[in-house]
Amino acid sequence: MSTSKNTKENILRLPAEKLFENELNALIKAEADPVPKGWKMSPKSVKTYICGGKAGNTVITPKYIGHERLVEIAIATLVTDRALLLIGEPGTAKSWLSEHLAAAINGNSSQVIQGTAGTTEEQIRYSWNYAMLIANGPSEAAMLKSPVFTAMETGTIARVEEISRCASEVQDTLISVLSEKRISVPELNMEIPAQKGFSVIATANTRDKGVNDMSAALKRRFNIVVLPAPETLEEEMSIVSTRVTQLSENLDLNAALPKDAVIEKVCTVFRELRQGETVDKKQKLKTTSGVLSTAEAISLLCNSMALAGSFGNGEISDEDIAAGLQGAVVKDEQGDIVAWKEYLENIMKKRGSAWAGLYGACRELNS
Amino acid sequence: MSGVNFFGIRHLSPAGGFYLEKYLEEIKPECVLIEAPCDFEDMLPDMVRNETKPPFAVLAYTKNAPLHTVLYPFAEYSPEYRAILWAHKNNVAIRFTDLPSEVFLGLYEEEKDENKAGKSSEEERADGTANEHTPSVYEKLDILSGEGSHETFWERTLEQSESADAYHEGANLFGLKIRESSEETGEDRRELLLREIHMREVIRKTAAEGFTAEKIVVVTGAYHVEGLKDWEKDEKIPEMPKSEGFHTLMPYSYYRLSTRSGYGAGNKAPAYYELIWQGLKRGDFSFSAGAYLAKIAAYQRKNGNAASSAQVIEAVRLAGSLAKLRGGNIPVLRDLRDAAETCIGEGSFGIIAEAAADTEIGTKIGELPEGVSRTSIQEDFYRELKDLKLDKYRCVTAQDLSLDLRENRRVSSEKAAFLDLNRSFFLHRLRVLDIGFAEKGANTQEKATWSENWTLRWTPESEIRLVESALKGDTVEFAASFVMKERVEKASAMWEIAGVIEDAFLCGMTSALSYALTALRSMAVEAVSFEELAKTAFRLSTVIGYGDIRKITAAELEPMVRQLFYRGCLIAEDACICDDAAAKAIAEAVGMFNSVELANGFLNTEDWIEALKKISGRDDLNTTLSGLAAAILLERSKMSNEELKTEVSRRLSRGVPAELGAGWFEGLTMRNRYGLIARLSLWESLDGYIASLDDEEFKRALVFLRRAFADFSAAEKDGIAENLGEIWGLNGAEVSETVNAVLDTASSEQIAALDDFDFDI
Repeated sequence: MSTSKNTKENILRLPAEKLFENELNALIKAEADPVPKGWKMSPKSVKTYICGGKAGNTVITPKYIGHERLVEIAIATLVTDRALLLIGEPGTAKSWLSEHLAAAINGNSSQVIQGTAGTTEEQIRYSWNYAMLIANGPSEAAMLKSPVFTAMETGTIARVEEISRCASEVQDTLISVLSEKRISVPELNMEIPAQKGFSVIATANTRDKGVNDMSAALKRRFNIVVLPAPETLEEEMSIVSTRVTQLSENLDLNAALPKDAVIEKVCTVFRELRQGETVDKKQKLKTTSGVLSTAEAISLLCNSMALAGSFGNGEISDEDIAAGLQGAVVKDEQGDIVAWKEYLENIMKKRGSAWAGLYGACRELNS
Repeated sequence: MSGVNFFGIRHLSPAGGFYLEKYLEEIKPECVLIEAPCDFEDMLPDMVRNETKPPFAVLAYTKNAPLHTVLYPFAEYSPEYRAILWAHKNNVAIRFTDLPSEVFLGLYEEEKDENKAGKSSEEERADGTANEHTPSVYEKLDILSGEGSHETFWERTLEQSESADAYHEGANLFGLKIRESSEETGEDRRELLLREIHMREVIRKTAAEGFTAEKIVVVTGAYHVEGLKDWEKDEKIPEMPKSEGFHTLMPYSYYRLSTRSGYGAGNKAPAYYELIWQGLKRGDFSFSAGAYLAKIAAYQRKNGNAASSAQVIEAVRLAGSLAKLRGGNIPVLRDLRDAAETCIGEGSFGIIAEAAADTEIGTKIGELPEGVSRTSIQEDFYRELKDLKLDKYRCVTAQDLSLDLRENRRVSSEKAAFLDLNRSFFLHRLRVLDIGFAEKGANTQEKATWSENWTLRWTPESEIRLVESALKGDTVEFAASFVMKERVEKASAMWEIAGVIEDAFLCGMTSALSYALTALRSMAVEAVSFEELAKTAFRLSTVIGYGDIRKITAAELEPMVRQLFYRGCLIAEDACICDDAAAKAIAEAVGMFNSVELANGFLNTEDWIEALKKISGRDDLNTTLSGLAAAILLERSKMSNEELKTEVSRRLSRGVPAELGAGWFEGLTMRNRYGLIARLSLWESLDGYIASLDDEEFKRALVFLRRAFADFSAAEKDGIAENLGEIWGLNGAEVSETVNAVLDTASSEQIAALDDFDFDI
């Protein structure tokens, strides 16, 4: 693999610490408060990085919108060397927040374990380079250290994504790591103590099927922060538009950014179908099987931009949105089509001329 | 400098109380001036008694209706209360500086007149300071402080002051700034100016009494400090409105404190603030944090939830680092609550909500010594209690009391003879006032109008409610009648008024009775639904049923019931056009109506029977109700066996959708089932009907007949079996065995197959 291809421009998705390098540097430069051991900046600056503000002359864009208090609790947790568990429905920016916390605190968000059903205990502790193990016997050089192991050694933060997807016994490996704050390597007769600054940020999903419940013992070792879905339509719209702008810069979509009216429509439809009532709370409606998270709304709009950029005139049209909505709302279940059609006829159709174009486009797809 | 010492406080601020004591200790004043209505000074001796346990409140209320109140609550840590205690201990003179309560009441009445759609009296006038600033000032502060709440800002900056000087200066500055920013908006200015004029006058008077200015300490809301500095200047005292009123001490509770919001009037977390107070007294600022979280954990454990010490420790640490994030050293309530939610509640507040309420608000209730400042209603209450020999029931353990309302002929005096009746009147009045002292239990003997069972239990909460009833009248009877009148005025349905009539009757209050009856008469003119008529008539009929046992004649009610009854008979038929959901309520109403008719001989039975016959005979009404009407007719022997037979075959005949047939049969079985079972002819016709069916029709009928008989008891099925046995010439016991047998698998399957039966063939 040649390194020249690894320039900033060629990477599909840069890690947070690269993407917002300027902001992080500005914050470190303008630091006025005491910095905890192992951290790159003070807790206050971490909060500024995540919730937005100013550092010297540099404007810090907000990364997580709404619920600043939850961000404070998350940061305060990490100050106390406790592990942090972010729980929430899909698409409530758990991983996003976890990545940015690690980026701000350590300048490194890449010590990640992606939890899957196939994650093994070794991936959380350490495993061996078997060729070397057989040739030379156990030695430190033959060890393959896990992100958690490295984080302990360096006094930084390890992230465990989707922890509830791992099998229970694998999850439980973390119990001793979190309470003892050390990993023992019996093969080498040694023990690695965690350096100051070590912590774990885990994320878990409350809604998806196929997750393993976390044991009470493990839960006790975490401070748990529940991330809610955006409270108001305005909040959700501002999250969506910020993210869409950031993404489109990265992806070179060749299309104009969606107008506020478009974002409002998408967010309204998502919120209403998610909550089972209209935004003005006057009408009840059927919900669909999909989660319809904020994250989905963001990707829907990016998709629409791609459609508009590649096949249209670069301006997001109602047809582009309709195609996206159809795909997001109607999953494989029969009930979804019924709910969606009802929504179109009973709610969207009656919303007047501003919605007429979208309604027509959606109807066409369902006729 | 004027020489007079000002100490700005925030009401119900523990740090204020604590540092004020220190300040007084340092200055050693000869006179302490405290911001409270000056006519409350007569309460001072009672306030400082050892038996007086805070929280308590001084309540002032207008003499005449409509009632207005002024309420001054004190907690153990209230700076005003600390100052009073200190002055008492050191034999120092005390003066109250605020306007007399009658001016507050007068001002309030004036405001009410100008602005009829104003706020409710209790909420707003609880304490002057709640009104002093327009909300916008505090909203501005909410944003400026960066805490999202001025309460939190205050707690973080001033409650945690480390010295008396810091608090003193901080509070004065806080008041000054609030004053500066609210002067622009200028709402409620008039009252404010009047109050400060009066306060300045009191300071002048005090100085004139011979106290040196340097030896006077003025304890006042931080806001006023700036306004009082110019006290020496002579000024004209303007004319002020007045409204005559009374005032009294009353026990208070933390719960009540927490329900009043606002700067001075209340305190969202009185029990938590007490923890701060305890911490200050111990000289340990971090005491409240540990105590709060440990209490939450203890509450969780007591209620069967897991909460370990390790979690408490983690929560304390998290709260600490949350506070540091805000630049503080000691966590405030918001930090503590968030930490508890995260560490003990596993991220969801719902888990610790109850524990948080218990720890923040608590259940503390104040106490006053026996006989202290009783309101007239309290005096009346205790006199009655003694008169009726109920004294011994005034204790915290629940005691049962059963009453026999009949005249006791074995005693000499009339008073003794009707003791229990008078007790019943009294207890019912308390029930109407919602004092919470007497709870009425169920009657053991049905229809025994002369007996009543009560459970009596006295709680401090009852005392509080009693004092609050002082607003409604001077005696228990007047207050009860006031409440009833209010209920009549607010009533939107006739049966609510009928409820008042019943209460008035139970309370033995003739005047309230006739008042409610007049209201009912005027309301009865309007069109009402059948259900409402039935409910109303039923309640009135109950009252009539008491006869003269309560020594009130209910004869006045008869024409009313007659009128309602006649109207009901006319509209009953139409009311039966409804769906099955509504039929339940109508069926209940029909039942009530029938019992009203049965209970009152003066009603015209013919009208009701006529209505029932129509309901029973028509095919286009709700079939359940038709069945019910038929059942009532049967019960009252107004339908012959022959008629019933015809009706059964007609209702169950071919072409009638099965569910309608079933509905009718259900209606028929709603009433006296034994009456039906005893009627052999019914079963004959049912038997004949079933025999006449061909296989396909039988399947249809089976479905709804099963439904109709589903809730018959085994004994009732026995009875049916006996009947059938007789008809078929079989042994009743054998038939019963078959009817009551559990289905075997084969039959169950056959019946299950009927679930898919297509009724539309």
